[in-house]
Amino acid sequence: MTENIIFLAFIGALCSSDITAFGQFMICRPIFCAPVMGFLMGDIGTGLWIGMIVEMLWINAIPLGVSIPVDVSLIGVLSTFWVCKYFSGFQEAAILGIILAVPFAYLYREIDISGRKFNTKIMRWIEKGIESGKYWQINAGVITGLLFFVLRAFLFCIFAMIVGGWIYFSIYPQLPEFVLLGFKKAWYLMPIAGFGMMIYNFKSVKIPLLRNSRDD
Amino acid sequence: MIKIYSRMFVRSFFIQTLWNYERMQNIGFVFILKPFLDKVYLNEDKKKEALLRHTGHFNTHPYMSGVVVAIVASLEKKIAEDSVTDEKLPDVNNIKDTMAGPLAALGDLFFFGTLRPAISFISIFILIFFVKVLDSRFVDCGILIPFVFIVLYNVVHIVARYRLMFLGFKFGKESIFVLSSFKFLLTLTRRGGLIIAIATLVLHFSAFGLGLNGMFSDSNAQDAIVYGIVLVCSVFVASRFGVTFLFYTIILTCVLISYLGI
Repeated sequence: MTENIIFLAFIGALCSSDITAFGQFMICRPIFCAPVMGFLMGDIGTGLWIGMIVEMLWINAIPLGVSIPVDVSLIGVLSTFWVCKYFSGFQEAAILGIILAVPFAYLYREIDISGRKFNTKIMRWIEKGIESGKYWQINAGVITGLLFFVLRAFLFCIFAMIVGGWIYFSIYPQLPEFVLLGFKKAWYLMPIAGFGMMIYNFKSVKIPLLRNSRDD
Repeated sequence: MIKIYSRMFVRSFFIQTLWNYERMQNIGFVFILKPFLDKVYLNEDKKKEALLRHTGHFNTHPYMSGVVVAIVASLEKKIAEDSVTDEKLPDVNNIKDTMAGPLAALGDLFFFGTLRPAISFISIFILIFFVKVLDSRFVDCGILIPFVFIVLYNVVHIVARYRLMFLGFKFGKESIFVLSSFKFLLTLTRRGGLIIAIATLVLHFSAFGLGLNGMFSDSNAQDAIVYGIVLVCSVFVASRFGVTFLFYTIILTCVLISYLGI
């Protein structure tokens, strides 16, 4: 059980890096990273439920082609962190955590886009290296790209955990009763909306390459 | 040579590290291919030429990249051995581009569109089962649930990724047709996923009941109607306006209902 923000931000950064930078082992998915964050903070139950809700709702949020979706790992990590740290065990607090984490995830998406633009500069550096016979620049470039990716995710996690945590801690006690009741209702309805998204996902999977033998 | 293939396989996990808007996975592709080119090209100028040849645009599904890498490696070996004359030199980049698109579509559909959601649902099924049926043991076993997801997914992912590279070496350009013959796996996983999704929904209802803890009404029938409306509307709203819009719409609607005292 830890509340060490540096360690937890590093775990969050590693999970986020899995989306594109390394492996795609799916440790970036909320169903994994939110419970792990909850476990590390001593409240795995909150992590599991947040992970389940975010996973089901954002089931299609995965980079396909050139699209860069919202960083769902950050939604899971940040909301679990805030809830476990400040208002552990409250369903309304979990919903507020997700509400606040989504804008941060969108903000990080913009940073990620900038990072990918920066990758072009590393790419050109590598290309020049190959032209001049410095093949080691290929390995060095990839390692640099990976380090930049983890570093920016790590710094963003620290920023979001502190700033977002302050906003979260300040807002929650001020919320009127009817808003909290609304959040509680939403907590019960979110899994249902998630099931809708999951069923929609399976129904909408098409097989364009195999259209001649479509069996659906 | 198996050592080189193993290095290429490990390096394939980094194919997207330097993903960029201009040429996407080009450096990742060069990074994977480099140990092979180091081995087959003894002439430095030819090696440089080969490396530069692969700095062009490339983009496919990360798990399927092994197939293209293997096909290109086989061609590069032929070029290095001078078994291909300049006139018959295959347009390697053209082959890369024509293979990348269909493989990306297959990978997206199978791994990201079908397998991952199906395994997510297995984990969610286990989660609901643990919480409601094995309530007392839940705290001890809870951490196993995310690891079930990771292990199940990566057993398929890593084995497939490894085998796909050798498929490329063995079948070359025909790999795409070989992969198409496994379409039953896609259909099977998709249908299996849908069945698991429905089973999880049923388990959710049986575990938590139809009543929303008296949140919306005292009647189970009315709560069932609320569930149905949310289920149908969520699909409609998310498909037209996106999931984030759906999420905030549900929150705002619930807050409004609470405010109005409905």
